[in-house]
Amino acid sequence: MNKWVLNIIAIVLAVLFVFPLIWMLLVSLKPDGTNVYTMSDWVHFADLTFSNYKKVLTGSAILRWTWNSTVIGVITTLLSILLSSLAAYSFSKMPFKSKGFLFVLITSGLLIPTEAILIPLYETTLHLNLIDNMWAIILPGLTNPIGILLLKQFMDGVPKDYIEAAQIDGSGTFRIWWNICLPLTKSAMVSVGIFFLILSWNNFLWPYLTITSEENMILSAGLPTFLSNNNMSLNMIMTASGIAAIPTIVVFALLQRHIVQGVAMSGVKG
Amino acid sequence: MNMKSIELPEKRALGNRAKAELKAIMYIVPFLIPFAIFYLWPVLRGTWISLHVWNIQGMQRYVGLDNYKRIFENSDFYKYLWNSFYFVLIGAPTVIVLGLILALIINQRIWFRTLIRSAYFLPYVLSVSVISFIWLKLFDPKNGPVNALLGLLGIHQDINWLTDHRFVWWAITIATDWWTVGFVMVLFLAGLQEIPQDHYEAATIDGAGTWSKFWHITMPGLSRVMKIQVFYQVISCLKLFGQVQIMTGGGPGDSTNTMIRYIYVTGFKKDMFGLASAQSIVFCVIMLLIAVIQFKLTDRKD
Repeated sequence: MNKWVLNIIAIVLAVLFVFPLIWMLLVSLKPDGTNVYTMSDWVHFADLTFSNYKKVLTGSAILRWTWNSTVIGVITTLLSILLSSLAAYSFSKMPFKSKGFLFVLITSGLLIPTEAILIPLYETTLHLNLIDNMWAIILPGLTNPIGILLLKQFMDGVPKDYIEAAQIDGSGTFRIWWNICLPLTKSAMVSVGIFFLILSWNNFLWPYLTITSEENMILSAGLPTFLSNNNMSLNMIMTASGIAAIPTIVVFALLQRHIVQGVAMSGVKG
Repeated sequence: MNMKSIELPEKRALGNRAKAELKAIMYIVPFLIPFAIFYLWPVLRGTWISLHVWNIQGMQRYVGLDNYKRIFENSDFYKYLWNSFYFVLIGAPTVIVLGLILALIINQRIWFRTLIRSAYFLPYVLSVSVISFIWLKLFDPKNGPVNALLGLLGIHQDINWLTDHRFVWWAITIATDWWTVGFVMVLFLAGLQEIPQDHYEAATIDGAGTWSKFWHITMPGLSRVMKIQVFYQVISCLKLFGQVQIMTGGGPGDSTNTMIRYIYVTGFKKDMFGLASAQSIVFCVIMLLIAVIQFKLTDRKD
């Protein structure tokens, strides 16, 4: 009995959770101008059409924005992992005097969020001539110290013997990083990478401020322009949301185990 | 000429140490460069800007602490600060409790466990603009399914979720909780799986009930994750911006205008960089104080 109640609660909650997404897709597939309000509207499938998708895809720069978001996300993630791994290697495996100071300095980056330094960050970006440039989003994205903290923990777990053996074989520090530390922290790098990718993909306020042209816009910041366009119907707005959401949903469906694990690891340790 | 051969060993050791130091730092430099330009420098620069009248053209004149005085003399500041805190008070507890409940459900042997876990987590991977769009329309008073569902439950009122100041914060909270609760759930799940199973078995032998097991084994076992979660959720609630910017524009009136949106409007809509920088610093100090208080409180418990 108890078991049944629990299962039913779990399923009802799951239905409630996916309902907004199903509704979005349903509305986006209804002809432009159709209302979806009553129950009978919801289950009336005869008039479903892809015409809204065709209209949004051809009439707006949304595909371009998706591409920009992907490029920025991938570059930010790869660079972040690389820089974090190098720094983590140094903090974990090399003794040096200024270690303590530098580590505290870098971790202080966790204390002040981007939102709190918007104005000077904007000014800096302006002076570097990066406004309306994808590097304006990528470069500030590289300052998150969480990757260093996580990867350092994993590097600490790399046995000393491995490194000493490599030193005896005549490997330099760089080769030890490349041949030993990098492969042994692969799973941690995937987790950190997924975390960075989600952060970058969902970045809103900063791109909203720094990207000014339609052509360089990214998805999360470009979408609200559909709202300011007053003759957009409910169906068209949901179509735009659908186009923005579908790639993420597909990637999530394919990689859900890795994504859930990656987020759990980054969140718990961070 | 023969200086090299009679160089003192300590000196050579010193040279080697300096070399090792340099080498170690070299691996950190690639991270330090963007970190210095896009984090450290703006933090210092912001303090400098806050002491001036400053706009998009650059510095106009030095005004000392006048900007700070203006902030504290303006009643808007207290209103928006309160709004930000209000969202912490309703957003953080709801998302944590919900996340814990979902984690406890998923941790049981239920049907379609992976699928259901995915359903709960899925909204988290969407961007803030997508979730704001969806909920903007779900909350539509005339044609939105939220009111339609309430109608099915017998509540036949057209609630103006986003334009009535009594409901608007709940609307934002519902949308935000739906969006981020999967993240909270996953962290609690990881925490639950670290609690040794034999603690529960021992408690069962001692005749402990479900509740008593929850309070004496589960909750203490989750205390570390709980601490991290409270910390994280308080900060992320204070940073609220995207949802209000898209769903309400700070309205109705200015009842959902938050500190971040206040800074954004002052700086980028009114072109008052100096004042906005001062606001950022005040807000930042408040956030740091909260972090310190949380640290002290949770430390004492241990």
